[in-house]
Amino acid sequence: MTSSALALAKSRTSRRLRTGQWQGLLYIAPAMALVIVFFLIPVLFTAWMSLHNWPLLGEPAWIGLGNYTRMLGDKRFFSALGFTAYYTVITTIAIFVIAFPLAMFVEQQRRGVAIYRTIFFLPVVVGLATASLLWVWLANVDSGLFGPAIRMLGLSEKKVNLLANFDSAFATIVVMVVWKIVGFTMIILLTGLQSIPAELTEAARIDGARRWQRFRYLTLPLMRRTIALALILSVTGSVLAFDQFYIMTSGGPQNRMISVVYFIFNQSFVSFQLGYGSALSIVLLGILVLLSVVQLKLLRVGDEK
Amino acid sequence: MTTDIKLARRRRKFRGNLAFHAFGIGAAFFFLAPFIWTGLASLRSGTEAQSPPLPPWPTNGISFDTYAVLDTFGSGVWQHTINSAVVALGTVVLTVIVSLLAGYGFSRYRFPFKNVCFVLIIATLMIPFQSILTPLFIILAKLGLNNSLVGLMLVYVTLQLPFSVFMMRNAFDAVPREIEEAARIDGARDLKLLVRVLLPLVMPGVATVAIFAFLNSWNEFLAALILLSDNDKYTLPVLMTAVRAGRLGAINWGAVQAGVMVMTLPCLVVFLVLQRYYMRGLMAGAVK
Amino acid sequence: MLKRLLGAASVATLCLVSSASAQETINMWVRTGIGKAFTSLAEAYNASHENQIALTEVPFAELVQKYATAIAGGQAPDALSLDLIYTPAFAAAGQLQDLTDWAKGLDYFDSLSPSHVALGTYEDKVYGLPLLVETSVLAWNKGLYREAGLDPEKAPTSWAEVETNAEAIRALGGDNYGFYFSGGACGGCMIFTFTPLVWASGVDILSEDGKTATLDTPQMRAAVAAYRSMVEKDLVPESSATDNGVNFLSFTNGKIGHQSLGAFAIGTLVNDYPDIDFGVTLIPGIEGGTSSFAGGDNIVVTKDTPRLAAVEEFIEFAYSPEGQKILAQNGSLPTRSDIAAEVLAGLDPRLQVAVDAIAVAKTPYTLLFNDLINSANGPWATFTNAAIYGDDVDGAFANAQAEMQSIIDNAP
Repeated sequence: MTSSALALAKSRTSRRLRTGQWQGLLYIAPAMALVIVFFLIPVLFTAWMSLHNWPLLGEPAWIGLGNYTRMLGDKRFFSALGFTAYYTVITTIAIFVIAFPLAMFVEQQRRGVAIYRTIFFLPVVVGLATASLLWVWLANVDSGLFGPAIRMLGLSEKKVNLLANFDSAFATIVVMVVWKIVGFTMIILLTGLQSIPAELTEAARIDGARRWQRFRYLTLPLMRRTIALALILSVTGSVLAFDQFYIMTSGGPQNRMISVVYFIFNQSFVSFQLGYGSALSIVLLGILVLLSVVQLKLLRVGDEK
Repeated sequence: MTTDIKLARRRRKFRGNLAFHAFGIGAAFFFLAPFIWTGLASLRSGTEAQSPPLPPWPTNGISFDTYAVLDTFGSGVWQHTINSAVVALGTVVLTVIVSLLAGYGFSRYRFPFKNVCFVLIIATLMIPFQSILTPLFIILAKLGLNNSLVGLMLVYVTLQLPFSVFMMRNAFDAVPREIEEAARIDGARDLKLLVRVLLPLVMPGVATVAIFAFLNSWNEFLAALILLSDNDKYTLPVLMTAVRAGRLGAINWGAVQAGVMVMTLPCLVVFLVLQRYYMRGLMAGAVK
Repeated sequence: MLKRLLGAASVATLCLVSSASAQETINMWVRTGIGKAFTSLAEAYNASHENQIALTEVPFAELVQKYATAIAGGQAPDALSLDLIYTPAFAAAGQLQDLTDWAKGLDYFDSLSPSHVALGTYEDKVYGLPLLVETSVLAWNKGLYREAGLDPEKAPTSWAEVETNAEAIRALGGDNYGFYFSGGACGGCMIFTFTPLVWASGVDILSEDGKTATLDTPQMRAAVAAYRSMVEKDLVPESSATDNGVNFLSFTNGKIGHQSLGAFAIGTLVNDYPDIDFGVTLIPGIEGGTSSFAGGDNIVVTKDTPRLAAVEEFIEFAYSPEGQKILAQNGSLPTRSDIAAEVLAGLDPRLQVAVDAIAVAKTPYTLLFNDLINSANGPWATFTNAAIYGDDVDGAFANAQAEMQSIIDNAP
């Protein structure tokens, strides 16, 4: 298009657009103000801090990219990354494996289904910190439920301290997180299931497609966007996991449950190295944005527009 | 012959129902049990509360000892509950107003940098907010809002925005434009149009946003702990960190159970009361 | 009275804006989990003085973070009761008020608890003064000794003896256990109760100048072996493996034969658990001898607080015989050795054991205390859990030694 034609097109709509522009901006202004003051500025500030040796107390000193190069040689950071990846994969799989059947269960048109749906969703409304505290009690060796119950049933001679070794502590946390989160994923998946026209499934059934085939070749592809949303929310939540490790195991046993956010928290507030903690946060932000883009690409969400 | 088929069909239906409810009840037990266990256990008397909850119910009479113990932490349960309620309700109101406006703006208007703004809001979801606590504290101090419930509220509203704005934009997208055109012809403009005509149509979305704002602000502990510095201003989750830290070198599990109940019950009530709108809102929002 | 007038006068001159008679409110923070000594002292002060203390209790795990953030935002309290081992780090960061001249002007400065003053001193200036003092001692449950047929008045003097007696108590069956320690990566608990085992032999986990980690010594190996043996023989409750310090005082449940604990705990046991009949003795070294950890809190003042005079008035109250008595009743040992006998008169005689421990007590001095020792994820805390509960003792030693050294080397 030539510039004159462009100008012509512009001038025709300019009046309406200009007032529209102003109004649109006006509507989003409060939200933008909050995001700028309480998110963008702190993040920029964090980025600025990441270029300094910035002690929690005392005077900061400019060190350029020093914090970022230090990260490359930091074994503890990589083991935190490794653990977070492990945790994210395990919980995401666990959540989806359980949320899908639950979603299909509550999608049925039967009496009582609404009650089940509500009950499955209940733990979602509890805070993660509260849920962690509740489960740390349930898992407590002396005053809790699981350990004494195992002993009462005669499955073990000794008292069972579930949180004392990695495998059982990790399993406890995964069960807690599934309990707490799965209802949310279930509802999101349910919306996807409900958006599939009933005639399609019916047609496939008449064509002789078996239940698994219908699920694999009809349901799954049609739910791509919903799955993408559920996946991104679940992965983001898991990568940012902190409360459950902080409250339930203090990062133990033997430091094997230090997630990335926990590591950042420790660097900033235990080792007092805010600069390094900030650099780690910026890297984590990058990782999350990247992960989300990759997930959207893999699920080809953009395609169906 | 036909009766046989009918009978077989009915039997199959019965068996199907049985399997359905067997699964449903089993799963429901898994989700409900922790609540039931804590709720019952918290009614046990002082010494009993320290022993394993087997059985969970009080064996020598219902008692509110654990709640009384909880009340001895911090400035007492009521004070902290009121603080939490103020913060949570404030967050709900502000979040609804701000995200209603922003959702409408993003849904109905075109303006420069629209996508950048939207992505920026969504990106708030991606930063571990633990790592921006120090800058946040400094900014609040500069604004004279540190150690104040209002400052905490504003932070919570910001943390709520990605989800809320996303929800509200989708809710407005789902409203046919013709409704607006008709209202415009009737002389409704701008805010009046938004409040009188559109608000009732996006109520499910509003309820969803409100519930999530309530739940998250009611439950958050780290920001509350760092950004507030007065015993009298602490919210309930901060009280819970004190309970968790124990006193005199021993954790009081009775107080933990009571605390979990005090933290949980309002959430359950809010959810159960509003869930009809909420489920609808969430579904409408997520499909898009 | 004269002191009070002087205090009020100096306050008035400091705060030119406020009228001369205005009372001041001092904002102070105290960590949770240290008993009632400080809160009782503050209450007594408020009852008898015009200036008032507004006390905020901060969960101990988050106190340092919260204080540092508050300083960054210019909203710090006037003073706080700080775990003494943090004083060097905070003083080095230049956030604390220099109290040297005022402190040295106190008649009894030289009789203040020496390890507290040493930790409160950074580059020859005094930034922190002793407020709460406690030492670690070994407590044994006399009731359980009697039940197990042991002599309740005979304190164990070696770890072999502790183990033998613990076995006898465990043999009572049920939930009776012989020994307890917070083994779930509680660095603070373990430095307090476990290092005295090796300190008694003159060995330490850090070199004198704090520049070299010296964890792997025959004495430390022997100490670890002693604890491991008790764990293997099932003399220690399972909860120990995950106790990150919140159940430090499990001894109060009356079913623990022995536990190393602090003087604050003596106060708690005496006041709140009168049914438990217990004795205390010095913690035996693994190769003989005795040692102890001198711990507690220093009071530190935020730099440039306008209420310095009021805080000083409060500190003087804490050091007065009346203040010292209140502290001692709640298990905090006398800060002033010159009036210790007077203060302890009529109080529980077991506190005297804790006072005696001061003579053999040590406190590590390092700017990296939080990083190295106290953090639940630091090398020391991890080491104690891995070496005592893990399968690979050699690996635990090697990892911790390497990580401690790397933290020291990488310190800014």
